[in-house]
Amino acid sequence: MRELERILRLARSDFAYFFRTKWLMAVLLTLNLSDMLVVALVYGRLMSFDYFRFFVPAVVVMGLFAAALDTGRRIWLALREGVIQYYLSLPISLPGIVIAYLLAGGLAAMVYSTSLLLVALVALPAEAVWSTFVLLPFLFILAMGLAGISASLAALASTHGEYFFAYQQIVQVLLLTISTVYYPISVISNYFPPALISFASANPLSLAAEAMREYTFAGLPIQPMVLLNILLASAPITVIGALAYLFVLRAIRAKGKL
Amino acid sequence: MRNVLRLIWFDLKQELKPPVWILVEWFIFTVQLFIYGALISRLVTAPEISNYQQFYAVGFIVMITFDIGTHTGRHFVEDAHEGRLPYLLSLPISRIKLFLSIALQGGFELALMLTVPLAITLFLLGNLAVLSVAAAIITLFGLGFGVAGLMLGLSFIAFKSSDMYTAIVTGLSTIIIRFSTVFYPLIFLPQGYASIASISPLTYGADLVRFLLGFDPSILLNPAYAVAVLAALAVSTLGLGMVLLQRLVEGVKSA
Repeated sequence: MRELERILRLARSDFAYFFRTKWLMAVLLTLNLSDMLVVALVYGRLMSFDYFRFFVPAVVVMGLFAAALDTGRRIWLALREGVIQYYLSLPISLPGIVIAYLLAGGLAAMVYSTSLLLVALVALPAEAVWSTFVLLPFLFILAMGLAGISASLAALASTHGEYFFAYQQIVQVLLLTISTVYYPISVISNYFPPALISFASANPLSLAAEAMREYTFAGLPIQPMVLLNILLASAPITVIGALAYLFVLRAIRAKGKL
Repeated sequence: MRNVLRLIWFDLKQELKPPVWILVEWFIFTVQLFIYGALISRLVTAPEISNYQQFYAVGFIVMITFDIGTHTGRHFVEDAHEGRLPYLLSLPISRIKLFLSIALQGGFELALMLTVPLAITLFLLGNLAVLSVAAAIITLFGLGFGVAGLMLGLSFIAFKSSDMYTAIVTGLSTIIIRFSTVFYPLIFLPQGYASIASISPLTYGADLVRFLLGFDPSILLNPAYAVAVLAALAVSTLGLGMVLLQRLVEGVKSA
């Protein structure tokens, strides 16, 4: 069997595991759908601008983020429960295992967030649904980047397994709150110091949320620079995550444990 | 009582060495309050809410209380799932003492988790009377015990399927929080949502705590109803949990 086939087979197995985790599906679906259909709607009544229109597209990106982050949990489980030893015995290279995990993480996040997008399209009229098809490949790369962040956290917590969820929560809260997912950049600019404004603007979640709002739902023409920015923001974190996980796998192969 | 305290300490020390989760909770509260709460507060223009950040701070504290309550139930299920429950049941202590240790452990965890968030919130609100702060703390603990009792009651689903229990509890928790007045006053909820929110224990807990901490009563539920609902919840769910624990026998096994 060729390496590519093995990678795809491993990715398929990990992808299926994500959707089979019942409690995770219950958490993600209730969280994201209630954000979309309850929080966005009620906050809209507290504010003088259309928060529902602003927040619903961002919930799709939040779903993408949450689902991609679950890659780290699966890697953490594999490390903790010794499944990784089984993976290492498979006729597949170490970079192959890493690529399989990132592919599965990116794909699971894409499929999950697409289901949220379908709900969003029912709740909120979109001006240019076709723009979504242009955005999809970039969102996939973003999802792989986010999965990369999660893989780095799993690698970082590999010797103190129980800390993984603490790291994950901290990163999740920081990336979401310091972004334009919940509030427009104009509000952030009046409150944050310049360094944090730059971080919020360059945050891949901000870029994706803005792209979703402006291109899919507002129907503005797609700007290639924005797509390039998503790529530039996502690629480094994908590579860092892949290298961190590869480093952990090499250590386990060399020493038998971490 | 010494046996109860020993059991509580046995579990609690695992969480305190090191206290990662407590520190994470405090960190998340601080970030959420001073970034998310502060920024959303600038967007909230409804004249009924003079300071949304303060409203949000109290809501977040109620959410922490709810989370600890649900954690108590989940902890009980984990004990059953990992084989520790039969051991606890075989200890030479009465079931009531065992139940007390489970409930009080939740109380201690809640006290630890709330210390910093509550101090920050009280500082943010300023100008508070000792009596109102004490009453708010008692309300939070009442709510915490009520939720813990509810989750302990639900935990018996786990003896059929622990997967199903986790899915139900985690999904239900999110819905209970969103369909309540934790993050927004009842008057701003659409009619259908308000009906669901008015059966959520969190609505009564959040509104009573806000009332005690001096928020405008016109956007809150009647505090007398809130006291009645929370007292009924705490007594009935803890009573239910105690009855169910009495019926458990050694050798019980979670699916």
